[in-house]
Amino acid sequence: MSKPRVAFFDFASCEGCQLQIANLEEEVLDLISIVDVVSFREVMKEHSEEYDIAIIEGSIMRPMDEERIRKIRSKSKILVAFGACACIGGVNKIRNQWSVDEVKKEVYKNADLKDNKYFDVFKTKAVNEVVPVDYYIYGCPPNRDEIKKVITALAMGKKPDIPNYPVCVECKKNENVCLFELGKFCLGPITRAGCNSICPSNGSPCEGCRGMLKEPQTKCVEDVLKRYNLTYEEMKRRCTMYNYGKEGCK
Amino acid sequence: MMENKIVTFSENEMLNFVDRLLNEKKFDVFGVKSKGEKFVFDLLEDSDELRLDHDVTILPPKKFFLPQYENLMDYDLEKPFNVKDKIIDKKRIIIGIHPYDIIAIEQMDKVYLDDQKDDFYNIRRKNTILIASDIQNVSDRSFSSSMNTNIVDSGFDILLTKINDKYAVTIGSDKGKKIVEKYAKTDNATENEIKEIKKARDETSKKYKKEVKNNDWSQLLVANYDNSIWEERSDRCLECSSCTMVCPTCYCYDIKDEVSLDLKDGRRVRTWDGCLIRDFTKVAGGEVFRDDIKERYRHRFFRKGNYLYNRYGFIACVGCGRCATACLPDIADPCDLINELSVFGGKGKDDKFFIKKESKIGETGTIHVPRSATIKRIEKLTSNETLFELELDDKKPLNHEPGQFVEVSVFGFGEAPFGISSPPSDKPIFEIVVRKVGDVTSQLFKMKKGDKIGIRGPLGNGFDMKKFEKKNLLMASGGTGMIPMRSVIKHVLSDENRPKFKNITILYGCKQPCEVLFADEIDEWKKVPNVNCIMTVDQCADGECWAGEVGLITALFPKIKLDRYDSKDTESIIIGPPVMYKYVIKCLQTLGISDENIWVSLERRMKCGVGKCGHCQINGIYCCKEGPVFNYNKIKDLPEAFE
Amino acid sequence: MNKDVKINVHHITRVEGHGNILLDVKKGDIKKIQWQVPEAPRFFEAMLRGRHYDELRPITSRICGICSIGHSLASLKATEDALDIEISEQTNMLRHLAINGENMQSHILHIGYLVAPDLFGVGSVFPLAVSNKDALLEIVKLHRLSNEMSELICGRTTHPIRLEVGGFTMLPTKKQLERLRDRLNENLERTKKVAEIIKKVSNKLPDFKRETEYIGLTNKDEYAFYDGDIASTDTGVLDDYKKYRSYMDEYFVPQSTAKYAKHNRKSYMVGALARFNLNSKQLEPNAKEVADMFGLKPICFNPFMNNIAQLVEFVHNIEDSVKWIDKILDIGLKDEKLKKITPKKGQGVGVIEVPRGILVHDYTIDSKGNCVKANCIIPTNQNHANIQHDMEEFAPKLIDKPEKEIELSLEMLVRAYDPCISCSTHYLDVEFV
Repeated sequence: MSKPRVAFFDFASCEGCQLQIANLEEEVLDLISIVDVVSFREVMKEHSEEYDIAIIEGSIMRPMDEERIRKIRSKSKILVAFGACACIGGVNKIRNQWSVDEVKKEVYKNADLKDNKYFDVFKTKAVNEVVPVDYYIYGCPPNRDEIKKVITALAMGKKPDIPNYPVCVECKKNENVCLFELGKFCLGPITRAGCNSICPSNGSPCEGCRGMLKEPQTKCVEDVLKRYNLTYEEMKRRCTMYNYGKEGCK
Repeated sequence: MMENKIVTFSENEMLNFVDRLLNEKKFDVFGVKSKGEKFVFDLLEDSDELRLDHDVTILPPKKFFLPQYENLMDYDLEKPFNVKDKIIDKKRIIIGIHPYDIIAIEQMDKVYLDDQKDDFYNIRRKNTILIASDIQNVSDRSFSSSMNTNIVDSGFDILLTKINDKYAVTIGSDKGKKIVEKYAKTDNATENEIKEIKKARDETSKKYKKEVKNNDWSQLLVANYDNSIWEERSDRCLECSSCTMVCPTCYCYDIKDEVSLDLKDGRRVRTWDGCLIRDFTKVAGGEVFRDDIKERYRHRFFRKGNYLYNRYGFIACVGCGRCATACLPDIADPCDLINELSVFGGKGKDDKFFIKKESKIGETGTIHVPRSATIKRIEKLTSNETLFELELDDKKPLNHEPGQFVEVSVFGFGEAPFGISSPPSDKPIFEIVVRKVGDVTSQLFKMKKGDKIGIRGPLGNGFDMKKFEKKNLLMASGGTGMIPMRSVIKHVLSDENRPKFKNITILYGCKQPCEVLFADEIDEWKKVPNVNCIMTVDQCADGECWAGEVGLITALFPKIKLDRYDSKDTESIIIGPPVMYKYVIKCLQTLGISDENIWVSLERRMKCGVGKCGHCQINGIYCCKEGPVFNYNKIKDLPEAFE
Repeated sequence: MNKDVKINVHHITRVEGHGNILLDVKKGDIKKIQWQVPEAPRFFEAMLRGRHYDELRPITSRICGICSIGHSLASLKATEDALDIEISEQTNMLRHLAINGENMQSHILHIGYLVAPDLFGVGSVFPLAVSNKDALLEIVKLHRLSNEMSELICGRTTHPIRLEVGGFTMLPTKKQLERLRDRLNENLERTKKVAEIIKKVSNKLPDFKRETEYIGLTNKDEYAFYDGDIASTDTGVLDDYKKYRSYMDEYFVPQSTAKYAKHNRKSYMVGALARFNLNSKQLEPNAKEVADMFGLKPICFNPFMNNIAQLVEFVHNIEDSVKWIDKILDIGLKDEKLKKITPKKGQGVGVIEVPRGILVHDYTIDSKGNCVKANCIIPTNQNHANIQHDMEEFAPKLIDKPEKEIELSLEMLVRAYDPCISCSTHYLDVEFV
């Protein structure tokens, strides 16, 4: 089986996800032995328009971005959303709470942005709100082990195995002291696992960057809030960091 | 029973004892340490880290014998079949295990060291010395005193009890005796000091804040299977499975294949899994057998109080309180639940959801490690199904019964169960039929003659063909049910065996003609004396060539000539999709065939194949151990069997 | 002499973020030379609107993946400044290690992966895996070391976890710090090796000068990264950090979604070269040696030498970190319980040096602890104008060369700045109503 051709693309993002590829250190050499990286603007000058797998970092914000992602979708056999901004919108979606005009005015005040296509933004969209996505690599930034897992799966032609259960499973396996018991508010119980509970393992509550499994307005969440003297408002504001737009996160 | 010898040493000497153990390089010493405000078992660096006054640890000692994440075997993806099991372990001592955890370890021993011994668990157990300690402080949610698990007199190598400013040291085994003699300076315990032990334990018993009011969990649970309490409580469940992770008697696991980034090799790993997770029962085709959270929530309590009670004779809960603390919506506490149910009361039949069955041991060699087989022949049967003829490389026959299955390994992709489609034989060759649904099966479809795969088996409970001799046989197959049924049919219809059975009826229904399997072979079957073979399809497109019936399989029953049948002398086998059973069984009953003469084969997510990982449970039974072949009479009252 | 040249580099490669270079020459006359920034604006200031003070750090961290630790620390400094929170000496020392780790990671990534390919004449770092595998592995080992350091102190190198208002959620252990110190010492030799490797190809760096103003932090006790006063090579030290705007005057230009900045001249430069020009006397000995190896002396007006200044800083960071670890271990790590924070009205400014230059976060917080006004001045923002003006002076020197060489030289000029374009796309002064 010939090596699949992989191309990396970035949209509105901080490029932290692509940096994780460089952070594979020596293993980058293994990576390029199993796939052919034909385009990766951040580290390569060469660029090819022929690729099998497109890996997308960043959210879609402007008509010019939408056009570009549609073109990429039409050329690729497999499209992978890479990182929170691409998978679920991430922090880029926080501004969706206000209208585009309001946001532009606040940010750019009286500057004349009409007709400037660079500023022609609409409400932030995750990649799957514009084109169909085949696989997701969640996280802000994604876990390097998971990146390796997905790329090896794609190179072997099998489906990547991404957890469908909450962070609590991994947190308990890591024998962490539950942050709720320390008076903190953690979104772990409703957030997708796969990060190996890295934030709670470092003493910081989960912020939900891998996306929610469960809508946060169910009765069980209300009971938890009551038990630990936390408010619904507080939970809502934490949910809006990466998951703005989901039910209960508006 | 021999009385345990009891000696004493001062608190200071206890610390010296621990320090001497720490100096020994040949074993690792783990003890209870603080982690923030909580406690954990971890490597000790100094004796003053030891906290024998702890109330409960975050994770129980099960993590030493069944690690959260464990490499079972390495495999080479470049060589055809190169597998190495990873049974390596270093000796260890664990200090500070509370009595309830000792009992939990004993329970796990019964599970893991049964007739299909887990070699990985076994070596860890053998390499470990358990130094227990009597409880000094009790956690808010612990109810071990009312579970009678707060005091033990066996199961440990050494037991430490704090009595005033000294420690009483109860020797529980030869291993313990040797350790104490080598590393500690002790005095014999006086009569008074022995009395102090009881006094210390009594003092601690007073500290319990929780008490379970009913110790007869099994019958209480059975009586309340349909109580609304399950739905009310599970409504608040976050499905986070924290309860199973921290539980000392929960031990379900999943097995996955991991591959190195250079694709040259990989490993098969085992990791904790939990029955509260929705995907726990999901099969490659996408079906989830315990979809409703109410069912999963209820399942955990039944497993602890009824299913495992039936199987091993103990309540699989030691009252440690870890799940109660871990559960954020506070619905996991068995003490609360049992007390609530006790208000409803009731006494059900203990083994209503259980079948007692002797298991056959099919696994040879190290548990979970497959042996190699070569693909001898590949035959495409339909667009979705392909037959593989396999030969075991050690040239030993599979020795299977019809109805049994094998676990097929494609390293790097995983392992999947397949019903054996060929009849029993004394050759090392057998056949399976693969339907392309997931990763393993997709990869099998890409393989060629001469490629190697891994085989474990034969596994499960098959058809006892001796029981069917001198009887009429009525075999109804739906769709892919013909795959395992073929194993029975070819066995029965062989020249050697045909005379042993009376009249044979074969009914076979598929959705469409293009899905019919083994059409050529079926033509041959029709030619065998006293064999009545009728086929049907649900629908047939115009112009499609089909000589058989059109309609559901149930419509075939009236066509069976009743005068050929003495229903009292007939055994019937049904294998097909879940929806088929209900209707076909009715037809059989109408024919006068009694429930105890009806046999079914059920399918669940079978992972380990040896009744340990927990994924294939149907109420209290394992589909891979008591099944997949079941007597309908025994299984008809199991609510989860035919949903 | 009289030729036509048209260069349009769309989304220049090997830089963080999206930038275009346009050069239009007609008959030897430059009609247009433009550095364009079409990066999608992400409206970060809008994201901070109304957020609680404990969320400002995780959100601003996402401004940039490469200097996320820098943004986090600037954010924390601004928040602590606004709420009058004092940090302990231990936190201060650990934060020095955090910023060192990030500086090292970013610089070695830039030199090894983004710039070296130009010096070796290849399109990316991947061919070097075959042609210069050993050299590449030396660079990778240093990158790994930097990440290990950031991960130890911050929990994660991209979007740190352990940093919070007032301190750390978790501390490294004594053993871990000792091991890190050993690792740092072991690798000092390796940095020299990598310097030799770069020296061999450094002749590819153009010898171009343009008199420029440099702005950065300065601190009488150390080569400033975490703490210091804002200083300019032209006008000296600014007395009040809260008056940063007087040194950093931002304005909008249509070809860029990022703003331009000026102070004493029409533009200025920030970054490793700026820091070197201001503070080279305070470099550690091995770092000074490496500077001498390349003939790098203050005040250097060649923007291409920014790459070398980065290498020098990398060496300095290693030596500096060892000193900090020694100090921390001497005093002994203490589990510090974070004091309870009572939100109050206030305005705070946090100024810090991140790998690409001086960074400012300015927050105004209301009595409930929510952010009502935010301003961030990003290093690359401050460099865009300088890049434009450098290009305007550099391009005429190139027009006689073949087109491919002109294109490469202009790209190398942009790369030398190590721009972080996606960080830089926002603007100034937002008042939330």
